[in-house]
Amino acid sequence: MPDSKAVRVVAFVLSAALLAASCTTQAKKSEFFGKIDPPAGQVLRYITGSEPESLDPQMSSGQPEARIDMALYDGLAEYHPKTMEPIPAIAERWVIDEDATEFVFFLRHDAKFSNGDPITAQDFVYTIRRGFRPELAARAAYLGYDIQYAEAYNSLGAFVRDPQTGRFLLASEAAPAGEAKNAGGEATTQPAAPPTEAEQEAELRKELSRKGEEAAPDTPFHHFMHSPARLVVPADEKGREKTFKADPKLQALVAGKEFVPVRAEDIGVEAVDDYTLRITMRQPAPYFLGLVPHQFFRVVPQKVVERYGVNWTKPENFVGSGPFKLQEHRPYNNLTVVRNPYYWDAKNVHLDQIVFYPLEDQTTMMNLYKAGEVDATYNHTVPASWLKSGVRFMKDYMDAPENGSNYWQINTTKPPMDDKRVRRAFNLAVDRKALGDYRVVSKPNSSFVPEGILHGYPSPPGYTLNVEEAKRLLAEAGFKDASGNFDPKKFPVDQVEIAYNTSESNRQIAEFVQAQWKQNLGVTIPLRNVEWKTFQDMRSKLQYKGFAGGAGWSGDYMDPFTYLSLFTTKEGGDNMTGWYDPKFVRMLDEANRQPEQAVRYQMLSKAEAYLLDAAPVITLLKPATSWMKKPYVKGMYPNPGTLHAWKYIYIEHDQAKWDQQMPDMTTDELAAVAAKE
Amino acid sequence: MKFRFIVRRLIVTVPMVLIVITLTWGLIRLAPGNFYSTEKKLPPAIEKNIRAKYGLDKPWYVQYGRMMWNIVRLDFGNSLKYENETVNDILWRTLPVSATIGLLAYLLALVVGVLTGTLAALKPNSKLDYVSMALAMLGISLPNFVLGPILVLVFSLSLYWLPPARWNGFPSWNLVLPVLTLSAIYMAYIARLTRAGMLEVLRSDYIRTARAKGLSERQVVVRHALRGGLLPVVSFTGPALAILISGTVVVERIFAMPGLGNYFINANLNRDEPLIIGIVAFVSIAVLVFNLLVDIAYAFIDPRIRY
Repeated sequence: MPDSKAVRVVAFVLSAALLAASCTTQAKKSEFFGKIDPPAGQVLRYITGSEPESLDPQMSSGQPEARIDMALYDGLAEYHPKTMEPIPAIAERWVIDEDATEFVFFLRHDAKFSNGDPITAQDFVYTIRRGFRPELAARAAYLGYDIQYAEAYNSLGAFVRDPQTGRFLLASEAAPAGEAKNAGGEATTQPAAPPTEAEQEAELRKELSRKGEEAAPDTPFHHFMHSPARLVVPADEKGREKTFKADPKLQALVAGKEFVPVRAEDIGVEAVDDYTLRITMRQPAPYFLGLVPHQFFRVVPQKVVERYGVNWTKPENFVGSGPFKLQEHRPYNNLTVVRNPYYWDAKNVHLDQIVFYPLEDQTTMMNLYKAGEVDATYNHTVPASWLKSGVRFMKDYMDAPENGSNYWQINTTKPPMDDKRVRRAFNLAVDRKALGDYRVVSKPNSSFVPEGILHGYPSPPGYTLNVEEAKRLLAEAGFKDASGNFDPKKFPVDQVEIAYNTSESNRQIAEFVQAQWKQNLGVTIPLRNVEWKTFQDMRSKLQYKGFAGGAGWSGDYMDPFTYLSLFTTKEGGDNMTGWYDPKFVRMLDEANRQPEQAVRYQMLSKAEAYLLDAAPVITLLKPATSWMKKPYVKGMYPNPGTLHAWKYIYIEHDQAKWDQQMPDMTTDELAAVAAKE
Repeated sequence: MKFRFIVRRLIVTVPMVLIVITLTWGLIRLAPGNFYSTEKKLPPAIEKNIRAKYGLDKPWYVQYGRMMWNIVRLDFGNSLKYENETVNDILWRTLPVSATIGLLAYLLALVVGVLTGTLAALKPNSKLDYVSMALAMLGISLPNFVLGPILVLVFSLSLYWLPPARWNGFPSWNLVLPVLTLSAIYMAYIARLTRAGMLEVLRSDYIRTARAKGLSERQVVVRHALRGGLLPVVSFTGPALAILISGTVVVERIFAMPGLGNYFINANLNRDEPLIIGIVAFVSIAVLVFNLLVDIAYAFIDPRIRY
């Protein structure tokens, strides 16, 4: 009878589903999430996010690409597996001059590309110049804008030369130099009266000889780099006209002069010899070292790049410089890299193969992880609902603070938020700890720079809940009743609102903070949900009232400056609060001139305290990394950027040595990290 | 006659595809954002470099003309997001993936659907009829973004029988769940279409004649009834196949298949103009061609139709 057969099939399916459901409840009791079967041999299967847009390290700016590039290319320095601070890679050591305008890297002699060609300082010169080529249009080029004339070259600038004398005009001559809005933006704070050339020359000679003793020999190019900065104007006529319209004085100054386009050769990178690379900055930039491991500065093979054009990263043409080389790339499916025998440290590379799976859907990633088809995932991969259902208590869940800061911007140009006391009061009326607990994957952050992740940086005391003080400040600002106490009814609620861009998590945070202010201050600030593009627009043009929620900044490098520098631009950029204080900018400049790291951090901390006092933002949270790794994956640490130096990672087949919790992050001795336990 | 009909239809196809492409091109331009925008603001100089590199600084008619010229040559150029890949490469690589899943799913749907539909029609209002039509109703109402995860939950995450996602070539166990997920709704539609078609045909005069001539029930059903009863299924097949082959966004995403659908959704999110145009052109051609094939097939199956 077919009828009963159909019934039987239905019965089977139902029972299978029930069986499955009972299995799920069983699995919940396990200490780890899903199957734990290490793959045979030294193979790591990793999810790094969406399909990499390019395998050309200069062409990508995202993290999915950064992780793949860390396998395929080596740089002067590498990220420390735990702290993400720069550690020696192709450069064995480096010397930074006292005011952090010159970096000399000493390259190891045994570094090779994956085709066996030696890697020399010239390769780095080529790589860095290439990154700034305007025709390449690299998105990450701005990261290196502090290199002398890099911005001028990248933004198609031109030097100005007097045809009679052959002398180049200096940036300091185009007063007011500090405000120069030319294409190069070579803002310098030189004294108004230029010293005579002879004086300059003598000064320079003295300075350079001092520098030369410590690092590399002096060269004519070195001289050029340290001469007073040349004036840069747009190379194209149209751009020039625009600049001149804004600055007629400049037009008068350059009248009758000729324009010499800035060339790649003018950028402050120099191969002093085969194994010495000198990089010169336009201004003190001690944080530059933290940027050196970025993919943008990882070395590429000139011959191969020039021979194959955009196709040089295809597996059949590929030549790299990292611990691994590209074997197979099937877009949207897998990217397989294998050990590079020519890598200078090949004997310390443990893995034979890494398979990257480009995936976008979080649930799919977690499915694969649970089914034991991948060994680790990248940050922010665990969906909120899974976290709440217990995944965050499992031993293979990685929950460490991230190099990022979530905060709200305040429009400081409109009342009542133009009053510092009001801004401080609203900061004091938020219970960040409660917010952190509510958000699950975030941690409270009372100051602006994320606390506790930058090694040796003393975070200034930030804002903690203090309702009394908040009320006092608001009363002081004029919102008080007859007896001088704070009166919520006096506060102009109609002049402020919390604008946030559409997203579930932004809405949750906005509602939470709104409720806190209502509870603590008795003020109900209206919420406003705005579409992302519109939100960007109203923030850039300072058209929002009160607060802009949903701002977050992820650090480009491990240094407080990546956060604090947000407020060094008055208009444009990512400041978007309207708060600009020359004193604050000066404090940063002074700190950056400080050669001693500890002292510099102390000074930056003071600057941050100054920023917090002015309160152009509501500090809120620092995100947590939130990802998973099987216990048998060793040498992989939940560092603040979730960027892993792959050579330290290995698969442990001995069950006794498996991780029973999040790996220890306290010892940062590289020797201990590097040694296979 | 038939030949003229086909030629006429083909000629109409060309302007239709061009109109679709022009509309798409305009819509991309209207959508906010661009392929290079990210969370962090780009310095204007870098934005300018990017726009110059990809010719976005040219007037719109130049850009439109260049795109049309590319299409006429059937070369859609390079993707904006994935710089070293041409759109043609992507189409050629993803098409087999989507087609494999789509064809397998349709084949499965056709076999199971026609079988149950026919059986149900032969014994209307029997238990079998009720059960199969109830299941079909369930299949139609259960969207694949619900069915897919349920199947994964049961067979991959609880029983650990089948891989939960990813393409692993053909044939492989990885195909089972996506094909099942994808075929469910088509199976259900086909079952219902077959049943309805068969019920109508079985009541018609020529079946009565066939029975009166003393043909066996089997001959009546297979040789006479199915031919007419399956007509609705045939007309459903055209658009269904076009959609299935050109990639099914949801299933490819849930199961992380490197197919056309997955690319299409990302191309849109990335504002990857050449890729969007390429896929839209391909899909619209596929839909038009499959509809044409269906019309031609009609003429062979149904002797009543003349062109």
